[in-house]
Amino acid sequence: MTTIMAISAGLSQPSSTRMLADRLAAEVKADHTETVELREYAHDITDHLLTRFANARLRPVLRRLADADGLILVTPVFTASFSGLFKSFLDIVEPDALQGKPVLIGATGGTERHSLVLEHALRPVLTYLRAVVLPTAVYAASADWGNDTDLSRRIARAAGELAAEVARRPAVGRVDPFADPVPFTDLLADISGRTDHD
Amino acid sequence: MTSLIILSGSPSVTSRTGALSDHLATRLRGDGHTASVVRVRDLPAEPLLHADSTHPKIAEVADAIAGAHGVVVASPVYKAAYSGVLKLLLDLLPQFALAGKVVLPVVTGGTPAHVLAIDYALRPVLSSLGADHIVPGWFVLDRHVEPLPGDARLDQRAAEDLYPIVDAFSEVVRGRHALAVA
Repeated sequence: MTTIMAISAGLSQPSSTRMLADRLAAEVKADHTETVELREYAHDITDHLLTRFANARLRPVLRRLADADGLILVTPVFTASFSGLFKSFLDIVEPDALQGKPVLIGATGGTERHSLVLEHALRPVLTYLRAVVLPTAVYAASADWGNDTDLSRRIARAAGELAAEVARRPAVGRVDPFADPVPFTDLLADISGRTDHD
Repeated sequence: MTSLIILSGSPSVTSRTGALSDHLATRLRGDGHTASVVRVRDLPAEPLLHADSTHPKIAEVADAIAGAHGVVVASPVYKAAYSGVLKLLLDLLPQFALAGKVVLPVVTGGTPAHVLAIDYALRPVLSSLGADHIVPGWFVLDRHVEPLPGDARLDQRAAEDLYPIVDAFSEVVRGRHALAVA
């Protein structure tokens, strides 16, 4: 069972960033797919930045992120880079949460002139976090929506790369601390051997 | 009199970057500067590849840059960055070869998707060469440059975008020079 988590840092509603995240997620065809909009967690992310503590709303999101087999990260382009909300989210992710995790990166903008944000801004940050960033990154400009551009082809190629990378890795799955308990008799045996109450 | 050097970093003989460089030189001369174009492809390959900065041709370029008030660095976009040929020359210059100079980055490419190569790839290199003032650069689409002998014809809209950038560079060079001699 493969799980894919798509993260959209889009701020508007409706959001083309969300739209790209959903298109990519659907194309991966995983067993379980979820899209999270960071705008719904903006306050929680800010709280975390200030208190260094994930609140009850944010904790499950971070846990599901760590447990996902693959990630899709999509940001709008603000002043020729990723958005502040996107970076703030990466800033609160545990340093090793993305280690070795296949990540597909995407960005949206008003003009294709900012496409290289993916290669020069997003890719290095995720490399720093030791994620496995897939070769195809998908940029969608305003002109790509509703027009006959090659956006669909790029989405298919990128999603195919993510699916293949996830498939060739063992499932991440969460380690259940209660899955392999010490038998009760062993615990009793341990107590009965103690002499400090004698 | 202010002197300008235009470095053209295309390895191609029929280069649009080169043609655009000639065109910019003409415009800058018309604005009262002296301007010369250095095409990296015309420099001897051996010292470029072997990092021989003592070769007379290379030293001549380094001296010309040292004596210039402003430098235009023009490159085609190759693999989402500046050309390797341009970098060969830049690597042979002294560490702070652009200190005290005004620099204008100009890049040509086939798709606007590579516009940010100016700011993410080329600009940091120019900064590391100690450039005092790197003015806003410009990206020109290949198809907007028609090479002519010793010049280029620009698409009208491309020219309307590019000329104000070049003229602003020219103004900054003149302004800094006026301050320096005052």
